[in-house]
Amino acid sequence: MAEKRESGRVKDLQQKRVLDDAARRRRQRKALEALESDNFQDDPHADLKMSKKAPKFEESMEAVQQQGSGTKRQRKSRSDHFKFRYKKSFAALLEEDQRFEKEGPSYLSAQIPASRFPERHFCAVCGFTSNYTCVQCGARYCCVRCLGTHQDTRCLKWTA
Amino acid sequence: MAIKMATVVLDNGAGLAKVGYSTDKNPRLMPNCITKAKSVRTRTFIGDQIDDCKDLSGLFYLLPFQKGYLVNWETQRQIWDYMFGKDGLKVDLHDSNIIVTEPYFNFHSVQEAMDEIFFEEYQFNSVFRCNPSFLSQYKHCKEKDQKPLCSIVLDAGYSFTHIIPYCKGKKLAECTKRIDVGGKVMTNHLKEVISYRQLMVMDETYVLNQLKEDVCYVSQDFMKDMEIGRKKGKENTIARDYVLPDYTHIKRGYVKPLEETTGRAKDGEQIIRMNNERFTIPELLFHPSDVGIHEMGVAEAVVHTIQSLPEEMQPHMYNNVILTGGNCKMPGFYSRMERETRSMTPDEYDLCMKKPENPSTYAWEGGTMLAKDPQIKKMSVTREEYEENGHNICFEKFDV
Repeated sequence: MAEKRESGRVKDLQQKRVLDDAARRRRQRKALEALESDNFQDDPHADLKMSKKAPKFEESMEAVQQQGSGTKRQRKSRSDHFKFRYKKSFAALLEEDQRFEKEGPSYLSAQIPASRFPERHFCAVCGFTSNYTCVQCGARYCCVRCLGTHQDTRCLKWTA
Repeated sequence: MAIKMATVVLDNGAGLAKVGYSTDKNPRLMPNCITKAKSVRTRTFIGDQIDDCKDLSGLFYLLPFQKGYLVNWETQRQIWDYMFGKDGLKVDLHDSNIIVTEPYFNFHSVQEAMDEIFFEEYQFNSVFRCNPSFLSQYKHCKEKDQKPLCSIVLDAGYSFTHIIPYCKGKKLAECTKRIDVGGKVMTNHLKEVISYRQLMVMDETYVLNQLKEDVCYVSQDFMKDMEIGRKKGKENTIARDYVLPDYTHIKRGYVKPLEETTGRAKDGEQIIRMNNERFTIPELLFHPSDVGIHEMGVAEAVVHTIQSLPEEMQPHMYNNVILTGGNCKMPGFYSRMERETRSMTPDEYDLCMKKPENPSTYAWEGGTMLAKDPQIKKMSVTREEYEENGHNICFEKFDV
């Protein structure tokens, strides 16, 4: 009998998945990483096969062969050397820097601390100031209409 | 050795490289990237070759810089080759000197690679490496009648924003601070916001960057502008319609005049309606926490940095704040910066800001002035010295 007295809304709430803090932070970090990316699409020339070996119309076959044995190899070794020695990602450079230079100012120590002013909150849908937080994912919204849009499009859609 | 040797000044920004001879009036502006277009499959565009491209939609970028530091040498080499080559400055490499800029706290191995390229590959006669802010404060000092003791440079660039205090021409590295907001973050954020609210534009970095430069501005009263942005119809003086280029009839995006701003597109047009996006995007510079970057904004950071310095330096610093970098071009940036900094500055100090006419080329202009200074000979490293002493002499001489 006791179950029957329970409110329908409470039941509804219990079924809803709520993201924990760790998951929210992970989402936030992903969003910040996206702000750093150079491209969102794939290389439009990725499917092109540019073969330099194929002879061009104006060249005779011998000329191509000569080039292949002489200048080209030289050029290749030069760039190979560079690739080998200096091709490092930003993360690798940072790690190396930390290992060798313990004291003194560095990239990491130069980061400015957090502001002493409170954070401001904006509606994730329309961008105006917001007063409410989505219970499930922690995004901000300003009105019922925006909450509806948020739940239909973003809320937990890309993590679940 | 020739008496008057040409000097190349290269402000090698992560987004835009500024390059020219020290005798030039203006630098050549070169996007520091290689781009691939969807429509042109036979070639890539190096640097400013992109101006030849007719269809700028869906450009794919190859950038030499990652998070503000040089990592893709292949790409950078191609751009430099083009810059110094026959379609660029036609530099006579053996008989030229170069002044080149590099990022703050540049990594050792990157510096080594740079020296190696400039001395061994390009074989410049002499090289001087420095941070762009060094050139900015140099120019500032030369322009003032009374040489200032200290100055503080705000460098708001493509990858990040730095605040660098100088005292008697020496950089105070331990007080240099970084905010992780730059032009790239703002453009990417704008792309994200527009793609969610209106139209999928995630691939259109080039177009959206133009949009940002055309219609975004720094709000003078953020909350008031928010209120106006909520209004409907004629009362909303902020909303603008931006017509996107289609690269057949419309070659470049443009803002519709206020009278024609209706929020509806005419035939054949595709529009983006810019409302609060116009000022919330540049607002990231002043409040990085708006997107979850827990750092101070530019004005607060300048005051914070000055306050971390010895007290006798502080009045000089407040008197010589130099605002540089492309983001300072945003309309309203200077006045907002001045007002907000003033409000946080102790009232016994005067506040004086240097607002260059063109903040993005200010450092380059400083470089051309430095090239004429007889001191530059002592500061730079010649090829002979490099061949004799290797990388060490560069680390000794250059203050970076």
